[in-house]
Amino acid sequence: MTITNKALARRTFLRGVGTAIGLPFLDAMVPALSYGKTVETPVRMAFVYVPIGAIMDHWNPSYTGNLAELPRILKPMEPFKKDMLLLGNLTHNGGRALLDGGGDHARATGGYLSGVQPKKIAEDSSYGDRNGHSVAAIKAGITADQIVANEIGGKTRFASLEVGMEDAQQAGNCDSGYSCSYTNNLAWKSESQPLPPTLDPRALFERLFGDDGDLSPQARERRNLYRRSILDYVTEDSKKLETRLGPSDRSKLDQYMTSVREVEIRIQQNEKDNRQIDPGMEKPGGTPGDFAEHFKLQSDMITIAFQADLTRTVTFLVGREGSNRPYREIGVPEGHHNLTHHRNNPEMIEKVAQINCYHMRTFAAWMEKMKAHQEGDRTLLDNSMIVYGSGIADGNRHTHEDLPTMVLGSGGGFLKSGRRLVYRRETPICNLYLTMMEGMGVHKEHFGDATGHLQGLTA
Amino acid sequence: MLQPRQTEKPAIGIVFDSAFSRVDDALALALLYGLDGKKEERFVSVSVSRANLKAAIYSDIVGRFYAGAVSGAIGFGGRTLPVGLADSSSLKDDEAFFAKPLSKTLLDGKPAYPSDIKSDIDTAEVAAVIRNALTAQWDGNTIIIVSGPASNLVSVLDTGGAKDWIQRKVKLLVFTGGRFPEGAPDANIKADIESARKLFAEWPTPIVACGAEMDGVISYPATSIEKDYAWSPAHPVVDAYLAGGTMPYDAPVWAMNSSLYAVRPQEGYFKVSDPGTIAVLEDGRTKFTPSSNGKHRYLIYDPAQKERIVKAYTEIASAKPVERPQRIPQKAQAQQKAAQAKPQGEEEPKKP
Repeated sequence: MTITNKALARRTFLRGVGTAIGLPFLDAMVPALSYGKTVETPVRMAFVYVPIGAIMDHWNPSYTGNLAELPRILKPMEPFKKDMLLLGNLTHNGGRALLDGGGDHARATGGYLSGVQPKKIAEDSSYGDRNGHSVAAIKAGITADQIVANEIGGKTRFASLEVGMEDAQQAGNCDSGYSCSYTNNLAWKSESQPLPPTLDPRALFERLFGDDGDLSPQARERRNLYRRSILDYVTEDSKKLETRLGPSDRSKLDQYMTSVREVEIRIQQNEKDNRQIDPGMEKPGGTPGDFAEHFKLQSDMITIAFQADLTRTVTFLVGREGSNRPYREIGVPEGHHNLTHHRNNPEMIEKVAQINCYHMRTFAAWMEKMKAHQEGDRTLLDNSMIVYGSGIADGNRHTHEDLPTMVLGSGGGFLKSGRRLVYRRETPICNLYLTMMEGMGVHKEHFGDATGHLQGLTA
Repeated sequence: MLQPRQTEKPAIGIVFDSAFSRVDDALALALLYGLDGKKEERFVSVSVSRANLKAAIYSDIVGRFYAGAVSGAIGFGGRTLPVGLADSSSLKDDEAFFAKPLSKTLLDGKPAYPSDIKSDIDTAEVAAVIRNALTAQWDGNTIIIVSGPASNLVSVLDTGGAKDWIQRKVKLLVFTGGRFPEGAPDANIKADIESARKLFAEWPTPIVACGAEMDGVISYPATSIEKDYAWSPAHPVVDAYLAGGTMPYDAPVWAMNSSLYAVRPQEGYFKVSDPGTIAVLEDGRTKFTPSSNGKHRYLIYDPAQKERIVKAYTEIASAKPVERPQRIPQKAQAQQKAAQAKPQGEEEPKKP
């Protein structure tokens, strides 16, 4: 540990023209007099949503208790068995029809983090709510991440980050009379205000490292023209800082800056590739066509955001609910959604399972990075609670009970990881969120359709 | 493609919450499934206020017996209705009427009445299962029948936002318990006095109580068990009846009284008191105070209706389920057929 006269502020930024780079947790941030005492590191929370559930036969193990052999889809998570909770029988009742007819995909995402059933948008008198009231405006509910962001978001540069990968459309009917706002957003600031995720890695990068949110268009253009890195703009600040750091912190800072630079280079490379290849789909210029590369870029930036304590609350919509994305890179050229309606066709089931496994492999690679970052006695993953799941369990039948749900990380020791817990049927998934809020230091008696906290979850 | 909303209000939904303390609770299940088969109501939720897994399994096997012929599985992914089970209760013990049928086997050793419930995690969380069932009903189109302590309903009441759902969705609560116009506590109140006090003080919809004075005034005839169920070589309600006492005996029908009134209030089977307010006192005694704007009433036995009532009980409870379009997985249908197939073992019901 480096002893300095005055500790470095946790919210120190390296600044340059139009640039502000947050720093990871450094020894120099520990006040000198606190040597030997436990230094509190922040707890982070993320919700990673994958569309259309999973082949549950390959997800649910047959046992409860300590995690042992993992089923096929979860195999990539073997190295993280001690870091994860695998939860069974959690239900998203708001995803069900509840007399509102079709639209399971929209309801699955639209109310996943609020426990609310979203309202249909169609104004035609034939299409009202379950009691015949015509509904026009979008209406869902405030989401768990935003409850937390409202309480603790002031401690970080961004109260929350919304990250996505597939579809930014906000208007129109995306599913049986439900607005695209429901399928394409995970976070809702209020019942009528979704928070659209950032899909373009460049936009996310500039949000994270631009000063006051963004570079001016002129500055961005000039930087792009000369292919300069944002790190070039903060060289002076960086040098000054290094004089205050010990060897361990200097090494840590160097690794961090390298990871930021690597992300930047990959974004530039993708932009270059995209200029040469017509991706055949409408998307921002910097968005990689390759699922894994896009996931890696977005998740790397979430990692950096967590490391630098830029935010403590993230939602990550890996694909729009009902996505028909093909996965040619793993030999599945058919659309995901079409395949999930497999009607028990073994070949289609196998392809859906391959997609599920592919998603899990990319997620596991991210978790590896989260686990590699040390923060005092724990890792960045230890200090996080990352929910991976979906608002649909069986994509063929559109079920919303026994959802595929796991939580990575222990929230700084708040959760007792390494176990498979199965709750009683119909247990609301909001019970999990209510418990996680507690782990974030946010105390709420009720939330969404929660009936209480999840029993036996905490250490 | 847009799917039109449901334009026609369906038959009223029934939520049945029972302690399974006596065989009349099993008979009430048969009555309610029979009324569902007649499309007079839809059985939308079943829960057990006794902390006893076997009672939940029994409730499940009766549901499976009628599966395919009732409204049940809608909204639950094609599975039979999840059975809510109390986490804790002053009532815990096995009762022969629900425990014994579970061990009935066929000649090949397989259970006569299969169930997917093997442990607590196969049952449902009570507050969630009742609340979720309510959310799927049209406004004012649900009746809740309680035959046991009030504890399960109070757990719903305590859930955030549940009072709004109850007010919107529930037309009436029929509570089997108390003594009216006033009297000493009965078993259902005694099992959880605090919850009973809370329920009558805070429940937001009208309540009709079927007091202990209604218990024992009518009985279910043993002769019906001996004759009317012959269409099924194995019937879980018949087996419960046989296990519940020494044949021939006429069983109580307290829970059936509540159930029949709930579904057919217009039939005049029972008289109903003027409105008022029911209070549960600290010692569990119940007291009815008339008041024109009160939300509570209680049932009054009318001896002139006895014959009609018994006829309704025997005919509806023993009715053969009417096949409906398949709403449950083939596996469950096969299990139902197996349950209805003639058992070849020693456990075949003995005709007294």
